[in-house]
Amino acid sequence: MIALHTRALSKTFKVKRKQAGLAGSFRALMRPEWETKEAVKRIDLTVEAGETVAFLGPNGAGKSTTIKMLTGIMHPTAGEAKVLGFVPWKERNALAYRIGTVFGQKSQLWYHLPPVDTFDLISRIYELTRGDYLTRKRDLVDRFEIGPYMNTPVRKLSLGERMRCEIAASMLHRPRLLFLDEPTIGLDAVVKQRIRELIRERNRTEGTTVFLTSHDAGDVEQLCSRAVVIHHGGILLDEPVEKLKREVLNRKTIWLTLPEGADPLELRGAEGAEVTEKNGRRYRVSVDLKRTGIEQVLRLLIGRIRIEDVSVEDPPLEEIIQHLYRMRKPEEVTT
Amino acid sequence: MSMAGKFGSVIRFLLTCWKVNLASALEYRTSFFLLAGMMFINNLMWLFFWSLFFHRFPVIHGWRLEDVMMLWAVGSGGFGWACVLFGNFPRIAAIVSSGQLDVYMSQPKPVLLNVLASRMSVTAAGDFVFGIVIYAMVGNHTFTGALAFAAGLLISGCLYISVMVIAGCFAFYVGNSEGIAGQVFNSFLALSTYPSDIFKGLTRIALFTIVPAGFISYMPIGLLRSFDPVFAGWSIGVTLLLGVGGALLFKAGLRRYSSGNALAMRS
Repeated sequence: MIALHTRALSKTFKVKRKQAGLAGSFRALMRPEWETKEAVKRIDLTVEAGETVAFLGPNGAGKSTTIKMLTGIMHPTAGEAKVLGFVPWKERNALAYRIGTVFGQKSQLWYHLPPVDTFDLISRIYELTRGDYLTRKRDLVDRFEIGPYMNTPVRKLSLGERMRCEIAASMLHRPRLLFLDEPTIGLDAVVKQRIRELIRERNRTEGTTVFLTSHDAGDVEQLCSRAVVIHHGGILLDEPVEKLKREVLNRKTIWLTLPEGADPLELRGAEGAEVTEKNGRRYRVSVDLKRTGIEQVLRLLIGRIRIEDVSVEDPPLEEIIQHLYRMRKPEEVTT
Repeated sequence: MSMAGKFGSVIRFLLTCWKVNLASALEYRTSFFLLAGMMFINNLMWLFFWSLFFHRFPVIHGWRLEDVMMLWAVGSGGFGWACVLFGNFPRIAAIVSSGQLDVYMSQPKPVLLNVLASRMSVTAAGDFVFGIVIYAMVGNHTFTGALAFAAGLLISGCLYISVMVIAGCFAFYVGNSEGIAGQVFNSFLALSTYPSDIFKGLTRIALFTIVPAGFISYMPIGLLRSFDPVFAGWSIGVTLLLGVGGALLFKAGLRRYSSGNALAMRS
């Protein structure tokens, strides 16, 4: 069953151009110059029900604009879309009962009130019966482990606690399709991991289709089965994440802090790992996962040298996308 | 869902929204009572100056001090309930131009109603109480008098909301229109607190057309002191026209909504 389908979905904006400085401001006042910016260019996309899709791209690629069109918030300039059988911008109300949205930068929780009050309001917005609401709330509070925060004003919660409440709130009405726009933005590694687990669990147990944008390669790797990369408004790549992992997500970075006087030459010799940067006592080691595993490299290094601090990072998503962009010829990009 | 079912669902939603708003306002109890009390005193000060004026000139173009007091009762009372129940109406332009409609648009409720009811102005509670107190002091306490006052409150509140929704909708068409909306708000508010009969000629015409504050400021004479069916009919007609016009303009404006990337929290 198809959850969403788009055909040549496009959005253009008129953007005012202004020269720098006060003189430029006066010129723009008298003779404004407008430029047409193609935020989304003829996107063709089909997502099956139950899929977990990562919708990726650098800042300004058109990810959020696409999500806003698919949720009925914005009207497209051209093209077609159906989400759960509804045309989003024409049947926004009917669609809203069936989808959930989480905008990492736009909260639906009331800042001065505890989450439980917003949950009550949301139950009215989605017209849940009292009994159904209470059962559902109990289940989500339990699974998301947000019981201790439910009666604390949102302004006093940490970002991670708030995001857990935010995602739980968006699932209160059992959405069949969940749009997540950068749900892990600004969170620490532990909270990110927990949020990914929770979203994955909802996908598994309730069959919720997940459509996610993120700048975090970890979100894609751990949460999604398919990645769609857009660049300059057009689709650059649409592949299973497994394939992406083999082709592109095959490097990780280990940051090491060595004690004073340690011999950095000891870092050499681990196959598939090389020191790519040095900053004081801090070393960046790039690991080729096709040749070796992180665990093997760490075991080898710990056996050879005393280490003060260690952290493992995914390559930044922007780097991966730039890499993909270089790999593909421009004419391959859907425009 | 039947029409009655939809209506019931909207009412239940509004009641919960107001409950949540009140709870949010009461989070800062001291601030709540201070702000509401200050607004009450502020209004009282204006009436004090009017009383000094009428002490010197007891009747101005047929208006007495009691009429001006009732003008303030109906004006501040109407403004008060509108701000308490639909407190976002003066902020539509800011909400649209800063791209804060996203959350409202992703929920299955009428967007305009959802936006309007999502905020409660604490200070306006003082305005509403002030209106009631003045009515208790100098109003007509017969059944018809109370009915006329209630109708006056309803019309004035709806007029404030409708005018500001229309002014706020400019943001869909011209981008940042907070300044224009602010000007409309201030001039409408100011003009609705002066007796309409002191204005003549073009200004008076403007008062019943461009800035329809005259439909509030003439109420003490045309609705409360004696019932003028023509004025009452026009008031209701203009209020309905502006209300429906504002809602349609907002709906049409949503097609042009371009969202934004500003951080937003509901408070």
